[in-house]
Amino acid sequence: MPQLIKVRPTKIELIKLRRRLSLSTRIQKIVKDRLSILMLEFLQIARETAQARRRLLKEFSEAYKASSIAVGYQGYIALEKELIASERDLEITTGSRNVAGARVPSFELKGAEKATRGYSLVDTSSWLDQTAQRAEKCLEDIVMLAELQSSLELLGREINRTKRIVNALEYLIVPSLQATIKYLYMKFEERDREEKSRLKRVKVLLEQR
Amino acid sequence: MPNESPYQRMLQQCLRGELRVLNAHLPCEQKALSALLADEYPNVVCHDGSTHLFKRKELEYLASMLDTDEQAALLLPMLIEVNPGQDDVAIICRGKAEEKIITKILDMPVTTRQKRIMLYKPQVALIRKPLKTTTQYLFSPKSSGTLAPL
Repeated sequence: MPQLIKVRPTKIELIKLRRRLSLSTRIQKIVKDRLSILMLEFLQIARETAQARRRLLKEFSEAYKASSIAVGYQGYIALEKELIASERDLEITTGSRNVAGARVPSFELKGAEKATRGYSLVDTSSWLDQTAQRAEKCLEDIVMLAELQSSLELLGREINRTKRIVNALEYLIVPSLQATIKYLYMKFEERDREEKSRLKRVKVLLEQR
Repeated sequence: MPNESPYQRMLQQCLRGELRVLNAHLPCEQKALSALLADEYPNVVCHDGSTHLFKRKELEYLASMLDTDEQAALLLPMLIEVNPGQDDVAIICRGKAEEKIITKILDMPVTTRQKRIMLYKPQVALIRKPLKTTTQYLFSPKSSGTLAPL
């Protein structure tokens, strides 16, 4: 049974309540749409996260395999000497984007793949090239996974919040407004009936005189 | 309303806030793809004061589908209009460039009606997958069945 809102039984209050009901119904539709969009995005990102994680694990295992073969060919110390020169800073552009009112982060790795990697191509084996290529892909995937995972969490939180609002509208606000409007209509009809019977009574009394 | 319960009041405030944030992320002005490609950090300023960053990869993906004139004509972010109570959504389309992109991504012909391309929600998911930052949702306050004029 929806709870009645305490209002004075007047026509003005009825008009106000009807306006509130129409506004609430409109908001309910919009918020429901927003929820469906958020769900759509959430599922999309969840699928992408699972794919990205699988891909990252595969890339990592291949990168480790290639690096261990490269170490086997050249030796750890010789390889380390070559790799010291190839160290470089990475640049990540960070920003944010908005998904149906929910702000999620956006990361982009800049210049992960470069034509020259800093080590001598003559003194190193092709396995080192493969390792470097795989590691660069791993870096890209890590950045992408970070973005997806944080987006997933934020969207999940936003979905929970929106769901609470939709439920409040659907099960509390709109039913209580409808019940109160119905109650006011009944009250006015009752008043009309009272008025009619009083008039009839007055008429009878006047006729008796 | 003075005779409202505190709970009712709180709910009303919540709803007001909800409507406020709904379209706050829309850009103050859309930028052409060619202009964004020339920027070092391609972004637009939103109505809430925040900046919306575009991914360069997405811009390059869009540029690969269009010629130079179309790149100058395509305004980003593309807006996806969601009408309350409707199963389909509309992509606001000002020229042929948007139509060409949607056709290529969906791999099916699309038609423009009243400057809009009508799509179903699963199709929107297909578009949003490669164009995460170059598309944005717009929640139309108009009731179902009517399209807001552009």
